[in-house]
Amino acid sequence: MALNRCAVVGVGQTNHTSCRADVSIAGLVREAVDRALLDANMTLADIDAIVIGKAPDMLEGIMMPELWLTDSLAASGKPLFRVHTAGSVGGSTAIVAAQHVMSGLHKRVLTIAFEKQSDGNAMWALSVPLPFSMPVHAGAGGYFSPIIRSYIRRSGSPSHIGAMVAVKDRSNALKNPYAHLHEDHWTLEKAMESPMLWDPIRFVETCPSSDGAIALVLASEDVADKMPGKKAWVHSTAMRSEPTMFAGRNQVSPRAGEMCAEDVFRKAGITNPLKEIDVVEMYVPFSWFEPMWLENIGFAPKDQGWRFVEDGVTEMTGKLPVNASGGVLSSNPIGASGMLRFGEAALQVMGKAGEHQIEGARTALGHAYGGGSQFFAMWVVGSEKN
Amino acid sequence: MAPLRLFYPYDRTVGSTVGRFLTSLANKKIEGTRGLDGIVHVPPAEFDPATGAPLTEWVVVGNAGEVLTWSWQPEPFADNTLQQPFAWALIRLDGADTPMLHAVRVGSEKDMASGMRVRAVWADEPTPSITTIMCFEPEHGHG
Repeated sequence: MALNRCAVVGVGQTNHTSCRADVSIAGLVREAVDRALLDANMTLADIDAIVIGKAPDMLEGIMMPELWLTDSLAASGKPLFRVHTAGSVGGSTAIVAAQHVMSGLHKRVLTIAFEKQSDGNAMWALSVPLPFSMPVHAGAGGYFSPIIRSYIRRSGSPSHIGAMVAVKDRSNALKNPYAHLHEDHWTLEKAMESPMLWDPIRFVETCPSSDGAIALVLASEDVADKMPGKKAWVHSTAMRSEPTMFAGRNQVSPRAGEMCAEDVFRKAGITNPLKEIDVVEMYVPFSWFEPMWLENIGFAPKDQGWRFVEDGVTEMTGKLPVNASGGVLSSNPIGASGMLRFGEAALQVMGKAGEHQIEGARTALGHAYGGGSQFFAMWVVGSEKN
Repeated sequence: MAPLRLFYPYDRTVGSTVGRFLTSLANKKIEGTRGLDGIVHVPPAEFDPATGAPLTEWVVVGNAGEVLTWSWQPEPFADNTLQQPFAWALIRLDGADTPMLHAVRVGSEKDMASGMRVRAVWADEPTPSITTIMCFEPEHGHG
């Protein structure tokens, strides 16, 4: 199946923070949209279709907010598509938007993801008992901590690896003006003394609760070719999912994640990801997921992901920089977090990441996961056409 | 087994446009915004529905208006401002082009009709909230 080419031609995001008391959700979204349109040198009138994503509506208590946002996006009379895939939604939304272009249906597509966590309480919104499911009454950390303990037991990882990831991401965030947390005092020693929230996840190893939004402008090849600015060409996209609960499920390294990575690399013609990918923006809401996803995606051999962290491979100066932006550990507007990974990957290959730019980044992976590690979304973007 | 009851409040950030609308309500003033096409939106639209432009021109409208359509609420919920059977109505206030949803207090369903005139009844304690308009009532007494 031949697909049309698609490029990211505009990226805009808000300054993520714990509470944007000065704007409505529509105002927050519009801020990111205006920045993305400015970056693409377009206006709302130029946009053919809009694809919007956010985490579960219960997080802010507004059902189908995309309908409310119609006015702020000048979406009346245009295709407006909503995507729902829990925490991975920002990634899935960008992929659906790219498909709007790759299919040949639309030439200029605006895609948006957001969360205004201060309007509700995501931790408790994610703790509501569901019929026939195991109750998880302490938010995402309570759900993931036994899975992380399982990873540590299986891999034989030393206990300080999670803290190392946290110090790296919080330090990287100092170079990203949009990051929520700008904390310059973290050392490994201090991180190891950070209060334990859900053993083995310490406070510093946990993502913050953020208000924030991101928007991307995607364009078809003929439109992008006429634009003078730098572009990120979408080389491949992939999504996979699996049930949250089934007998024998590998929750540490879900098969859906492995298959998603295999697919996204195959479509991009990548046979050696560690060698061919220059930079990764990975969905790491709790520090230990960096070594876990390094293995799940195929960058590191099984049980060896923690060695990459210990050896500094994922530092900004390492062979495979992961989350130069500071990642989810430094900003987590949940619904937007996946698209932030995709957008930051695009910024890297466009050479527009500013102070957290990885020099010479030509090919980047954007990664997102969601729910109980059952939704995966990835894209590979490059500075050159695929 | 101990009962488990989880609940939490939402804490809505309304932004500057709806924020001004609610603040004005506390002063018994109903305001809307004018769209680029001249349409007066009450409650105010933050962005122009036609173009997406931020709307900044404010228009004070009347405290009374016309019922465009309505639906009877035979059993009020605990958090409704009226604790007797009442009507939900779309009310186009004088000077506005768009209707606003609110409660209408009448004796019975028979007293409701599309096209009837109603006037705002203010709550005793003004707050920056839509319930500062406690309800609407027929302009010339019941029925």
